[in-house]
Amino acid sequence: MTLKFLKALFSTPFKRAIALFCASLLLTISIASCSGSSDAVKSKANISPDNIAQLENSNTLQEVKTAGKINIAVPADFPPFGAVGPDMQPRGYDIDVANQIAQELGVEVELVSVVGNYRIPFLQTDRVDLVISSLGKNEERAAIIDFSQPYAPFFSGIYGRSKIEVASLDDLEGHTVGVAQGSLEDLEISKLPPDKIDIKRYANNSLTASALVSGQVNLIATGNVVAAKLIQDNPSQKIESKFILKDSPCYVGIRKQDTELLERVNKILAHLKQTGKLNQLSLKWFGEPLPKDLTATTQA
Amino acid sequence: MDEFTLSRIFINLVIATKWTLILSAIAFICGGIVGFIVMLMRISPNKLLRGISFIYVEFFQGTPLLLQLFLAFFGLSVVFGINLSPLAAATLALTGFTSAFLADIWRGAVQALPQGQWEAGSAIGFSYFKQLQLIILPQAIKQAIAPTVGFLVQVIKGTSLASIIGFTELSRAAALINNVTLQSLLIFGLAGLIYFIVCYPLSTWSQYLEQKLSY
Repeated sequence: MTLKFLKALFSTPFKRAIALFCASLLLTISIASCSGSSDAVKSKANISPDNIAQLENSNTLQEVKTAGKINIAVPADFPPFGAVGPDMQPRGYDIDVANQIAQELGVEVELVSVVGNYRIPFLQTDRVDLVISSLGKNEERAAIIDFSQPYAPFFSGIYGRSKIEVASLDDLEGHTVGVAQGSLEDLEISKLPPDKIDIKRYANNSLTASALVSGQVNLIATGNVVAAKLIQDNPSQKIESKFILKDSPCYVGIRKQDTELLERVNKILAHLKQTGKLNQLSLKWFGEPLPKDLTATTQA
Repeated sequence: MDEFTLSRIFINLVIATKWTLILSAIAFICGGIVGFIVMLMRISPNKLLRGISFIYVEFFQGTPLLLQLFLAFFGLSVVFGINLSPLAAATLALTGFTSAFLADIWRGAVQALPQGQWEAGSAIGFSYFKQLQLIILPQAIKQAIAPTVGFLVQVIKGTSLASIIGFTELSRAAALINNVTLQSLLIFGLAGLIYFIVCYPLSTWSQYLEQKLSY
């Protein structure tokens, strides 16, 4: 009966061929999806009350140790944190930190260079175990991933030549401070009483920097990343940071449930800070030592 | 610190072109095969097959390639827990995208033929498949070449979207090098030139084929 019906439905060889194709397609998909869910690496991204129990069983630290390899997301488009060298391999502060952490864990490192916006999805979908990618902390991010203690300097500061002595906002009185119009630093510095300090606004960061180099202003307010390039390009000028206006350091991003890995990474970072290794890296890539608050935070 | 020289930049861009070519080849071959099957379904007399293929084509034509890449890479991961490698995800998305467009281009080429061609085929006793193979497809191919190649050139340029799931192909390599050297005009100019060198022969080849197949 069924056979008759089928024969009537797929009367021509063409229809039979198509039917066969569809059937095999269905079969392949069902096999792939069944085997996929048991063999493939399970994603831990969708967190619902049902699978939290299962989440806690996962142990990335153990997995990393058994595999002898850790996947770390690093930037490739944000110097000096990470940018490609002439060999197209990423290099920078974040890459060095990633290598240090892997070395302390005693495993090989697999650097995954990710596009900035997609750092967290890579972490959530288990494609990387750590994000060391100039990652700042905010509430939205803290709701979905965990952060280590800070490891990298990222701040706005007042920069000037070493002979000028200012150590706080009050000392700025009587100085002319250059700043890029509309920048984060402009917002910070504009909060100060305008009659006390003379603010000169420039169109962009590079004009602000050249104003300092050419001596139009003695001090500028800018980000440490911009300053890193300035310090590197003008070694004879002895430019240094005076004090920090607004601090928002970077953290290592870790999946919520990986508490053991988090603990271990925090210990490693504390160790790197104590031995001065992190400071060396900061000098190498940012041209200035780590800020004091950063070295002081050895707790998460 | 070693620096990016002009020759270094050029060599790096050419190396990155490898991924552009690989992804394009995957899109052409897999997309072509699947596209052919979907085209057969689109012109089939069976309503169900037509319906399925219609939904398939509309889905892939109606959503951006960027979104399809996302769904294949992150979406499958979140919903089904299947972590595809970047290459597998790119293959899936590019195949879906390319096949949907090719299927529609080819369906147009087939349906542009007068109905009498089919009828003539059946009049001399050819089966549906024979009619397709001996009468319809040889004529349709000629019609289809220009729009097919035109679309393939678009696919080559579209592969740059795969950079979001981790491929360092031509566009991304250019962006990365530009980030370090800040010579945007030079670097993107070179990248544009390489795209042109890859795409232009395809266009000339299609013109040649069209002339050769015309009678």
